[in-house]
Amino acid sequence: MANSAHTAHAGHDDHHGAPKSFWQRWVVTTNHKDIGTLYLIFAGIMFFVGGAMAMVIRLELFQPGLQFVDPQFFNSMTTVHALVMIFGGMMPAWVGLANWMIPLQIGAPDMALPRMNNYSFWIMPFAFILLLSTLFTGSGAPAGGWTLYPPLVLQGGDSFPMAIFAIHMMGASSIMGAINVLVTIMNMRAPGMTLLRMPLFCWTWLITAYLLILVMPVLAGAVTMLLTDHFFGTSFFSASGGGDPVMFQHIFWFFGHPEVYVLILPSFGVVSEILPTFSRKRLFGYESMVYASAAIGFLSVIVWAHHMFTTGMPLAGQLFFMLTTMLIAVPTGVKVFNWSATMWKGSLSFEPPMLFAISFLFLFTIGGFSGLMLAIAPADFQYQDTYFVVAHFHYVLVPGALFAIIGAVYYWLPKWSGHMYNMTAAKWHFWLSTIFVNVLFFPQHFLGLAGMPRRIPDYSTQFADWNMVSSIGGFGFGLAQLMFPVIIWNCVKGGAKATDHVWEGTHGLEWEVPSPAPYHTWESAPSEALIAAGSPTGH
Amino acid sequence: MDAQGQRIELSPHCSLTPVQARRFFLGLCAGCFGFAGIFALLGFWPVLPFAGLEMLVLGLALKFNLDRRHQLQTILISENEVRIECRQKHRPDTQVVFPRYWARVKLQRSFAPSHPSRLVIESSGRALEVGQFLTEEERRGVARQLDRLIGRTGESPPMGSA
Repeated sequence: MANSAHTAHAGHDDHHGAPKSFWQRWVVTTNHKDIGTLYLIFAGIMFFVGGAMAMVIRLELFQPGLQFVDPQFFNSMTTVHALVMIFGGMMPAWVGLANWMIPLQIGAPDMALPRMNNYSFWIMPFAFILLLSTLFTGSGAPAGGWTLYPPLVLQGGDSFPMAIFAIHMMGASSIMGAINVLVTIMNMRAPGMTLLRMPLFCWTWLITAYLLILVMPVLAGAVTMLLTDHFFGTSFFSASGGGDPVMFQHIFWFFGHPEVYVLILPSFGVVSEILPTFSRKRLFGYESMVYASAAIGFLSVIVWAHHMFTTGMPLAGQLFFMLTTMLIAVPTGVKVFNWSATMWKGSLSFEPPMLFAISFLFLFTIGGFSGLMLAIAPADFQYQDTYFVVAHFHYVLVPGALFAIIGAVYYWLPKWSGHMYNMTAAKWHFWLSTIFVNVLFFPQHFLGLAGMPRRIPDYSTQFADWNMVSSIGGFGFGLAQLMFPVIIWNCVKGGAKATDHVWEGTHGLEWEVPSPAPYHTWESAPSEALIAAGSPTGH
Repeated sequence: MDAQGQRIELSPHCSLTPVQARRFFLGLCAGCFGFAGIFALLGFWPVLPFAGLEMLVLGLALKFNLDRRHQLQTILISENEVRIECRQKHRPDTQVVFPRYWARVKLQRSFAPSHPSRLVIESSGRALEVGQFLTEEERRGVARQLDRLIGRTGESPPMGSA
């Protein structure tokens, strides 16, 4: 370990300085690592809550006909599953990882606004208690889809205002998190940590925070207008009052499409950290990766209407959104080729984070290609609202974003806990997840191409076989995920001692602090030599 | 450390200069208000106040974080005295001197757990708080360093020991 790291942590080889009481350590904490841990635990719980809802969906779809739940509840499950997974699982998981890793990676002692960091976390549990409590209202949970299209969503009964308020709270939390990340990265980098020396994870989070800042007010405005349309007699989206319901779709997707990139951009960052480590090489084309991420971020805000080709858009509009959507394949392709080039002739080893990263590379690309198919406006008229769309975005978000999150946890867990986890169990987790995720989602392409609509609890018997296969995949995937908390728990409780660098090919400041990472890190800024040596380019 | 003793300069680190911060903030405002303005022109004005609120919070966050750069506290510790020079924007420079032998360092925890601790150098009934702008972690680090250099009341550790 480098000398300056010793200086930074003199007398700090353990959790010295951590508050003793539970209240101070886990409730009013301002420590970025503790808040990161809280976010990750919360996200983990939400993944299982959302996953349980997915199991209900797959159980109902196991056979044609209505088996277990009524159609209203089924639609509530699809709606709340999406809201929970996106806002309760993915987003908090990324914010948790950002909290843990960004200060460590840029040589900052903490996040820029520690108190706001605490508040932004504690808003989340209340938001989700509110959202999930709609399941117990007389009208049931929201059932109009996570896209909240009016006029359908306005028929939601008691659950409607509760869900809107919950979304406002989630949005406020996301904005506070984004502001914190933005100010931290922009203003708290250690001297010598220039922007083009930052790890890709920080870069992708910086762009993600930009996107969140740009689009979150749009979501807040949109759901507020739904509320005023319903309760205060306005007609923003009501055709009878001179409003335009299709404009809600424009406004929603102006937020919704960049939101997808909010979930996937940090995944690109994580994969860009993992692949070089287990290839024992520096990342190929670091600067082009940065520019590609920025290009993807920019393009993500000008392609929203590809979700709306069937709403009666003018031909020029269809062409614009089709071509700009296809353009995203260029910077994404740069990334995929750079990752492949990073591995090319590398000294590869296949520890669990690397397995998840490689799986991400292949399976996310499948999601990307089906996205290109959906971008073709005339073809999209056939795919619209079918299971092909469901297969597409699940390939992007599950073996894409979720695998990156799991890979990130397996990558940094020894640094957090100070212990190595059970590699064999983690590899089983990987193989079961990878096999079952394909059994779960790949047949949905066939179902969609054959015309099966999404968001229905019952279907024609011609779709029965692939639905059964998909449900078996779903149950297998769900069961395989139970291994994850067990592996993490065992690792936290004990196991072989992790070294400071943990893996053989690591580069970056986070590996210069002891394992487990002390409660307080980088009280003194790291030296410039250390920063240069740890930068993705090595200088 | 200089020839006469130890010198500790406390100033919050900021990667951005005020000009860069202003450009960064204005760039974000342009994007955010640009999109919100388009929606407002189309009649969907409720996006605008949310954009304004968000930019207000971001602006305050940046200002709060950047304001720290104007503060500079220099602690000079020589064989016999502890001299603290404070510089702050819009305020006259101040200087306080304590006899090193009788001085001591205290890191006072706040009564409320959510409030920051206070790092105080005191002697003979006089006290001066330093490092208010530091993070909790940084403040603890400075407290340890000062403790080694100044020692308890009635002792003056050898200057080389730190």
